[in-house]
Amino acid sequence: MARFLIRRILNMIPLLIGITFLSFLVMSLVPGNFLSNLKMNPAISPQLIKEMEAQFGLNQPLLVRYGKWLWAVLHLNLGTSLAFNVSVTSLIGSRAVNTIILSAASMLFAWVIAIPIGIVVAVNQNSIWDRILSFLAFFGMSVPNFFLAFLVMYFAMKINSPYLPVGGTYSVDYAQLDWISKIGDRINHLILPVFVLGIAGMASLMRLMRSQILEIKNSDFVRTARAKGLPERTVIYKHVLRNALNPFVTMAGYGLADLLGGAALVEAVMNLQGLGLLLLNAVRSLDIYLVMGSVLMGTVLLLLGNLLADVALVAVDPRVDFSSMGSQ
Amino acid sequence: MARRWCHCVIAALTVMVACGCRVEHASDNHAKQQIFYQASLGDPRTFNPILSNDGSSDDAMRDLFDSIVRTNELTTLPEPGLAESWDVAPDQKTITFHLRRGIKWSDGAPFTSHDVGFTMQVMYDKRVPNSMRSILTIDGKPIEVATPDDYTVVMRLPRPFAPLLYSIGASILPAHILEPVYKAGHFNQAWNINTPPRDLIALGQFVMTRYVQSQLLQYAANPDFWMRDEKGGALPRLRGQTTMIVSDLNAAYLKFLAGQLDVYSPRPEEVVSLKENAKELNITVASNGVDTGELFFSFNRNPNHYVLNGHRDPKLDWFTDINFLRAIAHAIDKQGMINLCFHGLAVPAYGTISPANKLFYDPHLTDYDYDLKQSAALLEAAGYHLGPDGMRVDPHGNPLVFNLMTNTGVPVRDQMCAMFKQDLASLGIKVNYRPLEFTTMVEKLDSNFDWDCVLIGFGGGGVEPNNGANVLRSSGQLHIWYPDQKTPATPWEAEIDKLLEQGTAEMDTQKRVPYYWRIQEILHDQLPIIETVRQLRYIAYRNTLKNFQPTVWGVYHREYIEFTPD
Repeated sequence: MARFLIRRILNMIPLLIGITFLSFLVMSLVPGNFLSNLKMNPAISPQLIKEMEAQFGLNQPLLVRYGKWLWAVLHLNLGTSLAFNVSVTSLIGSRAVNTIILSAASMLFAWVIAIPIGIVVAVNQNSIWDRILSFLAFFGMSVPNFFLAFLVMYFAMKINSPYLPVGGTYSVDYAQLDWISKIGDRINHLILPVFVLGIAGMASLMRLMRSQILEIKNSDFVRTARAKGLPERTVIYKHVLRNALNPFVTMAGYGLADLLGGAALVEAVMNLQGLGLLLLNAVRSLDIYLVMGSVLMGTVLLLLGNLLADVALVAVDPRVDFSSMGSQ
Repeated sequence: MARRWCHCVIAALTVMVACGCRVEHASDNHAKQQIFYQASLGDPRTFNPILSNDGSSDDAMRDLFDSIVRTNELTTLPEPGLAESWDVAPDQKTITFHLRRGIKWSDGAPFTSHDVGFTMQVMYDKRVPNSMRSILTIDGKPIEVATPDDYTVVMRLPRPFAPLLYSIGASILPAHILEPVYKAGHFNQAWNINTPPRDLIALGQFVMTRYVQSQLLQYAANPDFWMRDEKGGALPRLRGQTTMIVSDLNAAYLKFLAGQLDVYSPRPEEVVSLKENAKELNITVASNGVDTGELFFSFNRNPNHYVLNGHRDPKLDWFTDINFLRAIAHAIDKQGMINLCFHGLAVPAYGTISPANKLFYDPHLTDYDYDLKQSAALLEAAGYHLGPDGMRVDPHGNPLVFNLMTNTGVPVRDQMCAMFKQDLASLGIKVNYRPLEFTTMVEKLDSNFDWDCVLIGFGGGGVEPNNGANVLRSSGQLHIWYPDQKTPATPWEAEIDKLLEQGTAEMDTQKRVPYYWRIQEILHDQLPIIETVRQLRYIAYRNTLKNFQPTVWGVYHREYIEFTPD
């Protein structure tokens, strides 16, 4: 296992360098730079643009800039945001917590609801519930979540309930509340976004669970289990479910990367204080170091999630071991 | 066992949601609290007023700092700010400002002429990237600042320079806080968005109490604020102000409808619906007047783009041909644009200065009427004939085809370009229209000049017309149609350069006006920029607000705003 882990971690290094370099290249190939937005402002002199270009190092060649950035990253310094003139770490750090809370809550919501429903509809295949829930699942998958976000915000505005605020992360008087109310306030503000984000995830998870169980339900070992007289409950929960788990372990691994980036659109629409909005604006204004910081974090999380999923797979499925994974 | 766990979790979640339900919000009653709620689009990028280059940062700091001279939003004339008066010496090159006595910074330190001197010193420092330096540099020379005593500032100009009174409206910094930072070489990092709000020492009507990124900015009334009302009562009358930071206007609109905001600037498509529901929502929807900026078509007249390797692109001849340009001006359906793109809430634009700028706007200009027949006649007379295939060709037989660009993300501009393209097609001119990402468009306008025609807007640069000098002067970087000229390419561009010079040298505002009227007339006749329309600005606000006097230049007497308790 140790050898496996070391090899996987070593493999990550060229991957990380490749991905970050490509992102850096793409950001630099876009015509213009961060200062282009200032150039159309009659109050800003061309001389000021030149001075700022020199100050930010934007006039240096691409490879030099990438080298400097990489060198700083090795010293755990993600650089300075061009727009905000503060360190990228402080910008991302202050917002990542909110995004992680939101993503984790909606993931929990999706998994806790989708898996039991998936099991129920698979066991009662072609029943009326199966049809209704499958229809709703397709609906949930096909409605874009930014649009759903607008719909629920409009709904919240119409009913104007104190439990369902129209967007935002906190109420304006959050600082003056006692701690119990603070938690309550945060939860109130989480209900709608978690619902919006959860619906899409829930739908696909439910469909996956259903098809997995249906596939396994008809296999030989299940028939054997039934033939030897096991009650249906035991067959489903002990044999079928256990064998249906593998793709979910992998999905949970990918979910780790989604924790930071998956909520971007909904955050932007519902005005949540998270990474999504910050990064969307960073990409649009070509604030290159802020974008690179988040690309780096997203990549690390994705690679780590994959690694964890593989380790978990070995733990869950006795048919898989580290030597077979290494040869893949 | 697992089942019991499940029950526990569900019970815990229910309890949590239940206490979530019981949150009492004192903020619901703005009038009782006397706290004014507004929205801002986007986060501030800095809390250092000298380093700010964007609207969000300026908005966030508007009520924190003050300048020695202010601009009156109603009259658009300079009025006393931190300086209670000023004298101009007979040679018009020395201006003495007399500062108000007894003004205190929010930490109790007195405001003195040293603060003004320090602020000017920072602006002129080449290591501090700021937009004020070029504005306050006259013919390449800085203004000499002397502070003979604590309440007198003397500015010596290299030559009489009228825009000074508008340009000097920069926020004054507290020298006792920032001078040590500046001397240590950390000024460019000072007062960034991570600085705790209590460390921002201010002297405006409010002090900042809290900033939560992408959520809100909170302000409390400054108890030591220097202004007094007519009866000597304390100002501001509000107890505080909250700026909700929103990512897009839809979110702000919903918040206004839900009563969370007290003021909102509706887009044209929202005005009618707000007016219809004004009674029910207990709001007033008022017209503010005409937008201060401009939105125009311009043709590239830069020979660097058209003359390459001895080959001269015929487009340069069309785009510098006044007959061609007049024909185009007559082909712009301004009324159609107003009705279709702005829901009727716009007016045709004639001149480069908006009617909102009462002092310098030229009321004598006449519009180029929308008349395709006249356009066609003008083109025919100038030798651009309609070919047998319906394509118009120039006198040398080249078909009239050109590219048009504008920036993506503004639906109105997209619609205007589509209408323009259609009208020109009916004249036999083919327009290849392509919207571009803003940064890409800027790169073309500013660096590689690879464009033919653009629809572009400039925000209003304030009342002072010289703020647009970078656009008007032939050597300006933003002289869109042919930037950065060594010597003026045409006699009328030379005349504009001269008028700009004369307009700044005359200190009497009324005597300056004719120079800027002449500039508007030249641009109107020569058509390097073809004006389109100006949006009518609206503002919607709660009826519980008292003394709320919005103008296109900002809210007049913001310090007097208050809520009437209901």
